[in-house]
Amino acid sequence: MGNSIASVDERETVDTRGRVGEVNFALIGHQESWRAAADVLAVLRGPEHAPLPDDEIKDILPWIPPRAVCHVEVGSKVGAKARGIYIDSFIPPDHLDSAYLRDNLARVRGAAQCAVRAGAKIVSLGGFSSILIEGNFDLLPEKHETVFTTGNTLTVAFIVRGIKKMCALEGRDLRRSTLLIVGATGDVGSGCARCLAPLVKRVLLCARNLERLRRLAAEFESEGIEVEIATDLQQFSAHADLVVCAASLASPSFLLGRIAPGAIVCDAGYPKNLAPSAQMPDAKVFFGGLGQITGGMKFTPDFHGILNRHPFPDVVHGCLLEGMALALERRFEPFSQGRGFITTERVEEMETIAARHGINLAPLYNGDGSIEECVHTASERQY
Amino acid sequence: MGSNVDLSCPPPGECAALSPTALIWQDVLAQALTGELVAAMNYTALAGICGDPAEIAEALEHAQGEKGHAAAFAAEGRRIGVPVPSNVEAKHWKRLREAFMRRIAERDFIGCLIVQEIMLESFAVAGYARVGRVGPGSLGKTFAAIAAEEEEHIEHAMAILRAERDLNTARFDGKVRQLHFEVMTTLAEMLARECVHGHCEVCHGSCVKPSLFGISLSAAELRGASLQQYLRTLDKLGLPGEVTLAWVTQLPV
Repeated sequence: MGNSIASVDERETVDTRGRVGEVNFALIGHQESWRAAADVLAVLRGPEHAPLPDDEIKDILPWIPPRAVCHVEVGSKVGAKARGIYIDSFIPPDHLDSAYLRDNLARVRGAAQCAVRAGAKIVSLGGFSSILIEGNFDLLPEKHETVFTTGNTLTVAFIVRGIKKMCALEGRDLRRSTLLIVGATGDVGSGCARCLAPLVKRVLLCARNLERLRRLAAEFESEGIEVEIATDLQQFSAHADLVVCAASLASPSFLLGRIAPGAIVCDAGYPKNLAPSAQMPDAKVFFGGLGQITGGMKFTPDFHGILNRHPFPDVVHGCLLEGMALALERRFEPFSQGRGFITTERVEEMETIAARHGINLAPLYNGDGSIEECVHTASERQY
Repeated sequence: MGSNVDLSCPPPGECAALSPTALIWQDVLAQALTGELVAAMNYTALAGICGDPAEIAEALEHAQGEKGHAAAFAAEGRRIGVPVPSNVEAKHWKRLREAFMRRIAERDFIGCLIVQEIMLESFAVAGYARVGRVGPGSLGKTFAAIAAEEEEHIEHAMAILRAERDLNTARFDGKVRQLHFEVMTTLAEMLARECVHGHCEVCHGSCVKPSLFGISLSAAELRGASLQQYLRTLDKLGLPGEVTLAWVTQLPV
């Protein structure tokens, strides 16, 4: 990398200008941990240099302006290819909360400007960037050639698909389940509610904004769905055996006493912080909203396993995959914008687009590793 | 370019009594003053390789402006009751000066602008701006005013450098890369949290860096702000961000 002066800030391939080709998509992200940030900087620094000490990284990283970090090339199972860039907003991992809202918004906006300058046709907002921007799209730079998507529709699709798969693996009947959605009025939470509520026996919706909860509940009540709302998990009258955490919980202990033994818990929040622990020993926790590219994904320089830190290859957050899928489809449109507009039909449409290009639900796992292997092993032991 | 910095100083009798932080400020001012003198020498040398009379005049005017900044820093020292020494032969500054003079020897006008305007001035602008925020009274105002003037220098040079880059991007970026490792390595060592290679030969006693907290600054903050300004300046020039970031991560810490 140190010897390269190839650019990702240009569109066309012209050698003397250091240009490297069309930018179909841009992915805006950040690192979830200092370890991940250190790994990113280590790749940029190159193998000939010793890694930077952790305390130096903590001093330096907050000063790095948002910028492209690498090129990404993805393939489709039908032979299509799309080229993109990964732009890191360099939000410090310990600033991923509302106390740093202003600075973080400025960083995401700066990253968006990088995407516009690079000529990206579609931009996916990953992780915390998506959460920050879903209610603030007007803060993004306006440029008609570049569109932005939160990527939340594909995230919802993979959460829903994951819930269904986990129920199948565990031999649960969705129709008999009581579903709890934490963060139900957010874009992802309300999308999950719309997709899953008609499939279960009862829905418990939890969020901080009571008025929004009432409006969402009214949608379901008009369809004859049994629904209960609360701003506090402890207020629900029933235990949930199916949980979607669409908002990060400060601690798994918040779920204690509100979930049935053996409940299936989808950690779809960001960052993912639920794990089968001493506090929830019986819960079947899995990380939701993740997909896998089967047509190949290449980073230049090689950030495999660093930008996508998952136990399986080519696994990426659904929000980022949405931009890639739309780029492979050559549908450069702001598929997911705003909050509360995700419907079952839109989820199905996005899932179909993704599947056409070989972008499917990732193998299920949690902080302890693969779940599917555990389930298979357990069922094999029974025989 | 004329300087707007106030060079006046109250008569010695009116200077404030030595404050507890005066010796910290003395070292901060000494580094700044030395940097301004090096810049003045650089612009004077640059005038010697300019062909166009207007360019010569401009380079000499810049040199004069930098001398004015140096005088302003010396005046601020007098105001707080401390002499402000300078040492353009101090090891880091000498290396920076030598790097610049190699470009002069090659009659490389663009290389000179990259070293002085993009690298040295980026660090001056960022450093002075941070000092300007915490400096008391006229001291802070002087740093802030000089930061603003230096930023104007950068903007002026940017137009020339962008035009040069448009002519041959690969050649231009290659030159910036070479100069980055030649010059920025020294600047990074100067701004490292600790001077691991011994005394800088500018501070009057031991290294001032550990004492910066006494004036609400830190070496880490000055380094961070300087690298940020440098990266943003390179961004404005159009250099690819992921490449310049890689360069910066390869600097010594």
